[in-house]
Amino acid sequence: MTNPVSRREFMNLLGATFGTGALIRVGSALGMLPAVAALTRPVLAAPAPGAGTAVILGAGISGLTAAWELAKAGYDVTVLESSNRAGGRVMTLRSGDVVDEIGNRQVCEWDNEPHMYFNAGAARIPSTHRNLLSYCKELGVDLEVFINESKTALIQDDAMLDGKPIRNAEVSTNVRGFLGELFAKSFTTAQLDQPFTESEAETIMGLIRQFGSLDREMNYKGSNRAGYVSGGFIDHGVQKEIIEFKHLMKSRLISQTLSANEGETGPLLMQPVGGMDRIIAGFTRALGDRVKYKTPVMSVMVKEAGVEVAYLQDGVPQTITADYCFNCIPAHFMAGIEHNLPGDYMQAMKYIRRGEAIKGAFQARERFWEKEEIYGGISWTSAPIRQLWYPSHGIHKEKGVILAAYDFGNGGEFTRLSQAERVEWLLKGGEKLHSNYRQMVEKPITIAWHRMNHMLGCSARWGRSGGGMTMEEEGLYHTLQAPALGRHYMIGDQISFHGAWQESAILSAHWALADMDQRVRSAA
Amino acid sequence: MIKKGVAVSGLVLGSLLSTHALAQTEGAEYYNDRYCMTCHGADGMGSEGIRGPRLAGMEPWYIKRQLENFRAGVRGTHEMDVPGTEMRPMAVPLTDASITDLLEWIGGWEYKPTEITLTNGDAAAGQPLYGTCAACHGAEAQGNEALGAPALAGQNDWYLFAQLKNFKAGYRGTHAEDTYGAQMVPMAATLADDTAILNVVSYINTLGR
Ligand SMILES: Cc1cc2nc3c(=O)[nH]c(=O)nc-3n(C[C@H](O)[C@H](O)[C@H](O)COP(=O)(O)OP(=O)(O)OC[C@H]3O[C@@H](n4cnc5c(N)ncnc54)[C@H](O)[C@@H]3O)c2cc1C
Repeated sequence: MTNPVSRREFMNLLGATFGTGALIRVGSALGMLPAVAALTRPVLAAPAPGAGTAVILGAGISGLTAAWELAKAGYDVTVLESSNRAGGRVMTLRSGDVVDEIGNRQVCEWDNEPHMYFNAGAARIPSTHRNLLSYCKELGVDLEVFINESKTALIQDDAMLDGKPIRNAEVSTNVRGFLGELFAKSFTTAQLDQPFTESEAETIMGLIRQFGSLDREMNYKGSNRAGYVSGGFIDHGVQKEIIEFKHLMKSRLISQTLSANEGETGPLLMQPVGGMDRIIAGFTRALGDRVKYKTPVMSVMVKEAGVEVAYLQDGVPQTITADYCFNCIPAHFMAGIEHNLPGDYMQAMKYIRRGEAIKGAFQARERFWEKEEIYGGISWTSAPIRQLWYPSHGIHKEKGVILAAYDFGNGGEFTRLSQAERVEWLLKGGEKLHSNYRQMVEKPITIAWHRMNHMLGCSARWGRSGGGMTMEEEGLYHTLQAPALGRHYMIGDQISFHGAWQESAILSAHWALADMDQRVRSAA
Repeated sequence: MIKKGVAVSGLVLGSLLSTHALAQTEGAEYYNDRYCMTCHGADGMGSEGIRGPRLAGMEPWYIKRQLENFRAGVRGTHEMDVPGTEMRPMAVPLTDASITDLLEWIGGWEYKPTEITLTNGDAAAGQPLYGTCAACHGAEAQGNEALGAPALAGQNDWYLFAQLKNFKAGYRGTHAEDTYGAQMVPMAATLADDTAILNVVSYINTLGR
C-alpha cells in the first residue's frame, strides 16, 4: 500500500495537474476558498501647513492615482507628462489616432464607430483587481464583460493533426477525458478512504467523473462537450470523434489552452465600455488642468527644501518645486534625465531591464468569426502571432477590430521588421487559423512597446534568474521603493512584484502615499 | 520647427474628428522629427538605460555623417548591433532639411560633464594603447574634423566600449560605403580583448572635457 494522500497533498496534486481552477472547485466542494486582495485606498491626512504641493512625473495610471488621491486630500498637484496623451501603456486606438512608435509612425484609419477600437496595451480587468475596479466605480467608468475563452475558438499547431485547427472544446474535452481516466485509475476509492470519509471520497470520485466526462465505469468514451458534427436539437446528434491524447500532446498549446483561463486571466474578466482609456479619461476629467501634456521632465533634484523638477513646455525650460514627488517615468529613462538621486537608487534602476511586448490589430471587413460560431475569446496558434482575439463587444455589427498578434515578454524579432514585413507576418499567422483571413482584414496597426515613444518597453524586468526575484534583486527593489530624502517616490508597475497589471501600478502608488502620509502624520 | 504644417493638415484634423474623450487633450502641432531625447536623454546627455549615446557636444559634422549613414543603411544594419538597428528606423524617414533642423536643435544643448561608469579599468595600461587612437582623435581625444575623427573625451564610456567592440567584431565599419568606419576596424583589432578595450576607455575617461 502506498502512502495515503492527505487532504492538502491531494489538493496540491489536483492543482498541479489541472491548474488553480480545479483547486478552487475542489476547495469549495470541501469548504475552503482563497482570500481576495485587500482594498488599499489610502485616506490621507490634510497636508501639513506649508507642505502641500506635489509634482507627479508621468501620467501613467499610477501617477494619475497618486495625483487624484493627493488632490482629494487638499494637495496642490501638478502632473507632468511628456506625451500628448495620458495613460502610458493604457492606450486605446480609434479612427484618427496616432501610434507614436519611433521610426514607424502610424495613423489609425478604422471606421469611426464606438465599437471600432483596440486596446493596444492593457485590455483585461480581473475581478480580483479591487483597487482598479473601485476607481472605475468612483470615476463613473462603465464596465462590461470581457470574454477571454470561447469554447468555439480555435487551436492550431503545425506539429499537431497536420496543422488543422480544432475547437477549444475539442482540446479541453479530450484532455480532461484522458486525465480524468488516468486519475480515476490511480486513486481508487480504497486509497481515498484513508484520509477522507466515505462521502468525501464519493464527492471526489464524482468530481473526477464530471471533470473528465467519464462513463459509470470511469472510462472516457468521448463527450458531447466537444460539440456535435451534426444534429442534436430536433434530430439525433452525431458526436465528434475522440481526438486521442497522443495527438494532442504534440502541441505545447494544449497546456496553454487549459491554463490561459485560470488565475488572473480566469473568468470573470471585464473591460470598460468603449475602451480601456475610459479609465484614464475618468482620472484626467477629475484632475482637470492639473495634468500638463507635452511637458517632458528634464531634471529631478531632491533637496532639503523640496523637489525641484525642470521640464520643457513648448520647448521652453520651466521649473517647478514641490514638497513631494511621485515618479512613474520608466526607470530605463532615468539615466538620461539629470538628477541627484542616491547612487544605490540608480544602481537599482540600472539593474532593471526593458521588457518587450507586441500587439497587432486589423479592421475586419466583416465579422467572419461569427460565421464560424465564434463570438469572442482567443484562438491560439503555434505561428509567432501566438493569438487572435475576437472582440467581446459589437456582436453582430458589420465590422470589428480583431487582435492579430499578442506576444507578451517577447517579440524582439517582430519589432525589428519594417511595417510591411510585420503586416505580412500577421497575415501569415492569421491564415493558419482562418483560411479566408487575408481577404477579410484590412488597415493594419502594429504596436511594438519596445519602440513606443516615451515608453520604450513593457514591462520592467527585475528577475534575471528565470524564477522570481533573488534576495539581491529584492534588496534592489526595496531600495527603489523607499523614498529618496523622504520626498521622491518611484512608482508604477515597475515598483511591484507583479509587472504588467494596472492594479500593481495603482498599488505601488498607494504604498507610496501611505508611506508619505505616515511621515506627515508623525511629524504633526 | 519644420514639418509643423504637414502635421496640422493631416494628423491633428484626424484627432479633432475623433469623438473620444481624450481628443480634447491632444494638442496642435504634434509631429516632427525631434525624437532624439527619448533615447539620448534630456538635452542629449546620453541615456545608459536605452544605450543611447551623448549627443550634447558632439560635432555637427559627425552627427550629420552618422545620420546619413544610418539613413542609407551604411550603419545600423548588422543584426548584432542591436542599438544601431534601433537607431536606423529613426533615421530612414529623415529628409536633408530635417537633418539640418536636428543639427540646429542638438547644437543648442549644453554639454555637461559625463558620468564615469566604468571604474574597474586600468587607465595607466590604457595610455600606451591610446597612442594608436591619438593619431586621428588627438592627444586629448578632442577630435579632428579634417580627418573626420570625432572627439572621444566626454563621450559616455559605456558607448565607447560598445563601439570599439562593434568595430573589432565587424558589426560596424564593414559596410562597403562606410569609409571612415573601415579605418576603425584595423585600429580596434589592435586591442587584444575586452580588458584592453576597457583600459583604453578608462584612459580616455582621464582626459575629461
Ligand atoms: C501589451 C500590454 C498588455 C497589457 N495588458 C494588461 C491587462 O490586460 N490588464 C492590466 O491591468 N494591465 C495590462 N498591462 C499593463 C498596464 O498597462 C501597466 O501595468 C500600467 O498601465 C502601467 O502604469 P504605470 O503607472 O506604471 O505607468 P506607464 O503606463 O508606464 O506610464 C509612464 C508614463 O510616463 C511618461 N513619461 C515617460 N518619460 C517621461 C518624461 N521624461 N517626462 C514626463 N513623463 C514621461 C510616459 O509617457 C507615460 O505616460 C498591459 C501592458 C501592455 C504593454
